[in-house]
Amino acid sequence: MDAGTGAAPDLSPTTVTQLASSDDPRELQRTLREQPVHRVGDLFNLVTRREDVEEALRDRTGTFSWSAVGMNLGNIRPLIPLQIDPPQHVKYRRILDPLFAPKKMALLEDEVIALVKELVDTFAVSGSCDFHEEFAVPLPCRVFLRLMGLPLDDLDLFLSVKDDIIRPPGVTLDEQAPYRERAGKTVYEYFERHLAERKDHPTDDMLAQIIAGEVDGERLSDEEVMDICYLFIIAGLDTVTDSLDCIFAYLAQNPDHRRQLVADESIIPSAVEELLRWESPVPAVPRVATEDIEISGCPIKAGEQVMLVLGSANTDDAAHAGADEVDLRRNPNPHLAFGGGVHRCLGSHLARVELRVAIREFHRRIPEYELAPGTVLEYTTGLRSLHHLPLAFPAGA
Amino acid sequence: MRILLDTERCQGHGRCYSLAPDLFDSDDLGHCVLLVDEVPAGAEADARSGVDNCPEQALSIAE
Repeated sequence: MDAGTGAAPDLSPTTVTQLASSDDPRELQRTLREQPVHRVGDLFNLVTRREDVEEALRDRTGTFSWSAVGMNLGNIRPLIPLQIDPPQHVKYRRILDPLFAPKKMALLEDEVIALVKELVDTFAVSGSCDFHEEFAVPLPCRVFLRLMGLPLDDLDLFLSVKDDIIRPPGVTLDEQAPYRERAGKTVYEYFERHLAERKDHPTDDMLAQIIAGEVDGERLSDEEVMDICYLFIIAGLDTVTDSLDCIFAYLAQNPDHRRQLVADESIIPSAVEELLRWESPVPAVPRVATEDIEISGCPIKAGEQVMLVLGSANTDDAAHAGADEVDLRRNPNPHLAFGGGVHRCLGSHLARVELRVAIREFHRRIPEYELAPGTVLEYTTGLRSLHHLPLAFPAGA
Repeated sequence: MRILLDTERCQGHGRCYSLAPDLFDSDDLGHCVLLVDEVPAGAEADARSGVDNCPEQALSIAE
């Protein structure tokens, strides 16, 4: 199909939610790619093709803003570094990127192995589990608490504020706002207390390194540290849960691929990249145009929001041949599941360690499993996750 | 064969040095550092793998 010309076609918001919640969003992505841009009411513009998504993410000309995206996440100040635009954005990434660099994250592997084994131990013998509740939810939260040097007893508190911010009760934004605000207040109070304690009792965990972080000889303020921690809860906990849910649901339903990685663990790193590409647990990311622009011929006015559909860019077979099927050994695989440009997911290397270790250790103990009989998978909207993932496997594993 | 790195484009995805650690390394930020000027004989496929997996097209090959 030719690049679009003129006004973008209209699309209903309901169709957009199916990019996350559909059992198989690839069909919808394919249909959407027939037009480079879809207008969703007066809410935003959906950008569907790899080339356009890639260019907008890279944003070499400073045409797009994150800070202008009006997204209520219960926060009273911009989240750092996500909701900060260049050039200030660079200052924060200079402090944070080294803390999340692959070599640093590799040092966590033994601890992640221990946490994964502990979780698998709780259900392996029984022959069944709700993978979502019993594994995908607690693992990233435990890793986060360990990394930040926060008490493991606070697990439930973190999970409840995270859910109230990302998936609050209620349907409309107005109904959801009070939950988000209350959860936000809890987060600020929690970190205020912990930052005060750290001043009396210094530690050597990641929180301490953020507190000690300097750019041009200047320390971060307490508020800046809190705004970073707030983002970590939202961006760091749920997305790994989503990825684990998506990947294990795929492997439960595709035994040939599962057996392929059980037989040869050396393909786990490339399998992780491929299943992230295929599932795109973060289906789309928002930006706001700061000037009048055109995307593949479709006019976008200054101030309008665009949603860059990472999922559809990742399966765009016009850009990458064979992108419409799963190949666990795919190479090259320059996917955009972690976004791109200056906002490339800060925690991507931590996520990779968690996903690789989880897949390896789980399958060493439980190589054969399937969806529990009668299971109908229900994917969430927004970020692509599952409400439940009941798995059945031979008892006594 | 040479590898060219556009440091302005690199965003630290880390695909190159995880796939071809003999040719690429990372700095403190996790951004790419080239380890060789000339790609050694026999390492051409690794070089292409590192280059082609970069989601930012920060890497390229000069024959």
